[in-house]
Amino acid sequence: MTSAVGAVRVLASGIPASLTVHGAMPGGDWVLGIDSLSAAFLVVILGVGAACAVFGTHDSALERSAGRQGTWFGQLSFATLLVGITLVVAARTVVVFLGAWEVMAISSYLLIVAHHEEAEVRRSGLIYLVATHAATLSLFAMFATWAANAPNWSFDALAAASPSLPPASMVAVLLLALVGFGFKAGFVPLHFWLPPAHAAAPSHVSALMSGIVIKTGIYGLLRVLLLLGGAPAWWAWLVLGIGVSSGVLGVLWALAQHDIKRLLAYHSVENIGIILMGIGAGSLGVAYHVPVVAMLGFAGALLHTMNHALFKSLLFLGAGAVYRATGTRNMEALGGLARRMPLTWLGFLVGAAAIIGVPPFNGFVSEWLVYQGLFAAGQTRDMSRLAILGIPALALISGLALACFTKVAGIVFLGTARAPRALAASEVTRGMYLPALMLAAACVFLGVIPALGIGVVNAAARELAGAGSVALPDAVRSGAWAISLLASSMLLLSMLLWVSRRALSRRRATRHEPTWACAYDLPTPRMQYTSSSFASPLLSIFGPLSGVRVERSPTAMRTHAVDLVLDAVALPLWRRVRRAALRLRGIQQGRLHLYLLYVMAALLVLLGYLAFGSGP
Amino acid sequence: MTVSDSVASYAALLLLIVAAPIIPGVASRTKSILTGRRGAPVWQLYADLWKLARRGIVLSTTTTWIFQAAPIIVLATTIVAASLLPLDGRVSTVRFAGDAVAFAGLLGLGRFTLALASLDTGSSFEGMGASRDVTFASLAEPGLFIAFATLGVIAHDLSLSAMLGNTAARSAAIPAAGPSLVMVALSLFALALAECSRVPVDDPSTHLELTMVHEVMVLDHSGPDLAMILYAGALKLALFAAILLNVLLAAAIPGGWRSSAGAFAALAVSFVGMGVAVGVVESTMARLRQPKVPLYLAGGSALALFGLILVLR
Repeated sequence: MTSAVGAVRVLASGIPASLTVHGAMPGGDWVLGIDSLSAAFLVVILGVGAACAVFGTHDSALERSAGRQGTWFGQLSFATLLVGITLVVAARTVVVFLGAWEVMAISSYLLIVAHHEEAEVRRSGLIYLVATHAATLSLFAMFATWAANAPNWSFDALAAASPSLPPASMVAVLLLALVGFGFKAGFVPLHFWLPPAHAAAPSHVSALMSGIVIKTGIYGLLRVLLLLGGAPAWWAWLVLGIGVSSGVLGVLWALAQHDIKRLLAYHSVENIGIILMGIGAGSLGVAYHVPVVAMLGFAGALLHTMNHALFKSLLFLGAGAVYRATGTRNMEALGGLARRMPLTWLGFLVGAAAIIGVPPFNGFVSEWLVYQGLFAAGQTRDMSRLAILGIPALALISGLALACFTKVAGIVFLGTARAPRALAASEVTRGMYLPALMLAAACVFLGVIPALGIGVVNAAARELAGAGSVALPDAVRSGAWAISLLASSMLLLSMLLWVSRRALSRRRATRHEPTWACAYDLPTPRMQYTSSSFASPLLSIFGPLSGVRVERSPTAMRTHAVDLVLDAVALPLWRRVRRAALRLRGIQQGRLHLYLLYVMAALLVLLGYLAFGSGP
Repeated sequence: MTVSDSVASYAALLLLIVAAPIIPGVASRTKSILTGRRGAPVWQLYADLWKLARRGIVLSTTTTWIFQAAPIIVLATTIVAASLLPLDGRVSTVRFAGDAVAFAGLLGLGRFTLALASLDTGSSFEGMGASRDVTFASLAEPGLFIAFATLGVIAHDLSLSAMLGNTAARSAAIPAAGPSLVMVALSLFALALAECSRVPVDDPSTHLELTMVHEVMVLDHSGPDLAMILYAGALKLALFAAILLNVLLAAAIPGGWRSSAGAFAALAVSFVGMGVAVGVVESTMARLRQPKVPLYLAGGSALALFGLILVLR
């Protein structure tokens, strides 16, 4: 609560706030602070966090009344997680940052394995744990490299030391940051922990993880950029490239999913890609000294971070409500929920329209900024004009996202129920649809009045774009109001058309008949198009890249989606490493005298090194 | 912008709204002439719309509110998208930096709701149509944006008014950018045929549900609802006609039209031209097999990409 007030105050006044805890703290003084970047993140974290917490409280109350024990532990971990995230964005020293980072990582793990009685959940949790600690490890390495010649471990000292960083260390810091924060953000190919973890976790946790937790990876990258004062051009190109591949592959793999929560998780991979395209464009602007490009790129990335937090948590809460009402996440078993869960459907529909980036919803505004950043890069006279090729990539991403969300919304909520459990569904309780509708209202609000969202990220984008940067071009500010004008004229026109349609339809009776099945009399729900058949034309175009594996037998055909990184690379690689490690078994005999021999040998080698190797 | 410019842009919008239904009529008339049939008059769509508007509505019992909202949203988004185009070759009624993105986004919103409406019926045919429609559209999207990016680089501005209108920056760039403009125009025509569901991607005159794409999505719409969808389809053709006119016009006469009357006449001619072009394509070639459509769209996009590379240098 206090941090929310603090964040709003910093956003309103533009003056950073900070708090120092002196004394015998490990790792020097503990410093917390809120500047414009932290404030922009904090506002979203706490807003979305509150919505997810309300949903989670009501959801676990239902579980408790169904006889489940120990739901208080989940609530406690959720609160710890929120505290951890808040501290991550407020930390101003390495020790506090890494400590908070671990609090966040561990409490996420505890939340993911809430339903640990299922083997699949335990497996997903383990994969997550490995990935998150690989991330922490490379963050340790990054800060150690960076702080090697800094007087202490505060961020200020790191910033002061960065100009004197040797080139090799600079490269190491940038790459380690990309790996460490990249695991958390979940871009391709470091995304592999993300879909299983999001599918396994309780829905409000998936909402918070996808909306907020993975954004701490983005926050970390931006913080590193801010402390370093910009990155070289190769890094910017690398980030832009990762953004494009993550965006395209993320949405393509999302199309192939049958599990609604896995599908949404892959869309997070896609949207992280869009955010990285913005960061890439922004860094290009800094590297090539084109302030307009830097400003548009970073503003687009920050705004998309914020927007994605809103609509993705909204979609996960909707998926959670569907799961609560039907007991399944398999889209092939759902259908016709729009009639039975009208308010959940409304929220989900707004989220879907926002994520595919159409006006007048918030997702459009940030994609509009990223497009302009890429286009402005294309106007320059140096290498950075090649960034304009990101425009068709972004267009392909949003085209595929439209196809994918037509599939999700249409198959899950429209048509008729494909299985009895979808037929028996009813609307969830008020405590579960109200948070979703609040988030939906925020999505519409920021889409109809884009100037608000742009205002929130403006200061942070300016800092990221560097000292000599300009404010957002006037064209963008007036453009934001023109979008409001478009939205209102669209609303007005729709109302006009609605009134005239009503007048026309009043003159003749409206008849209600079964759906026209081309003269076939007995259509059944099983004849409907399914999620697989809907996605099939697109997936077949992309061939093996789409990660669909088909199993055929004389009587049946099954398709299932494999993760091309986890199932095709990471796990086989891990199995091979494990087999290779078995060869070392020979030296583990379990006999004490052998181990004493090893100790002696090691001591002798060390002595030999001291005597001959170290020199004068 | 003066008051008269603003009045002219609204008048051009009105012309588009009134005259758009002539395009499918001209297309089918062209087809009937080329294939030696009597054919329907060019104002056939006006008559159809009038007839449908007075008919009653049949609603499928499976459907929800989105089925009834979709035609309204499709029509509203198409008209608002039209307001972003500089129809008289100078300025549009609404313009801002990056409005080309909004143009594509508005058409996307219409497509999204219409596809949802067709899934709302629970019909397998309509689901099939929706699936194919979003598949082709998502592959056409990159091409459209490459074309927009090319026009934007030529005009130094990502606003449709600057990209298609006759601004000073654009006139100065025209002689050098001529080849690019021609490539963009060809590519846009190829993509427009896909966006507007015409041959070689879709055949509006087919009568077999299995082979339909756009037509099958609206099987269950009737009366005023169907009228709105058909009318929005005609408007979409008119939008692309206006875009093509202004891309080619700039290549041919860099100065642009001096008077509003000339601009309006050109707009009207472009509608007829679009109808004739569509009709000629439909009577000279068959529809592509569906696995070939992605290749067609990729080819169209590649053409625009060459144009972009030429202006980037």
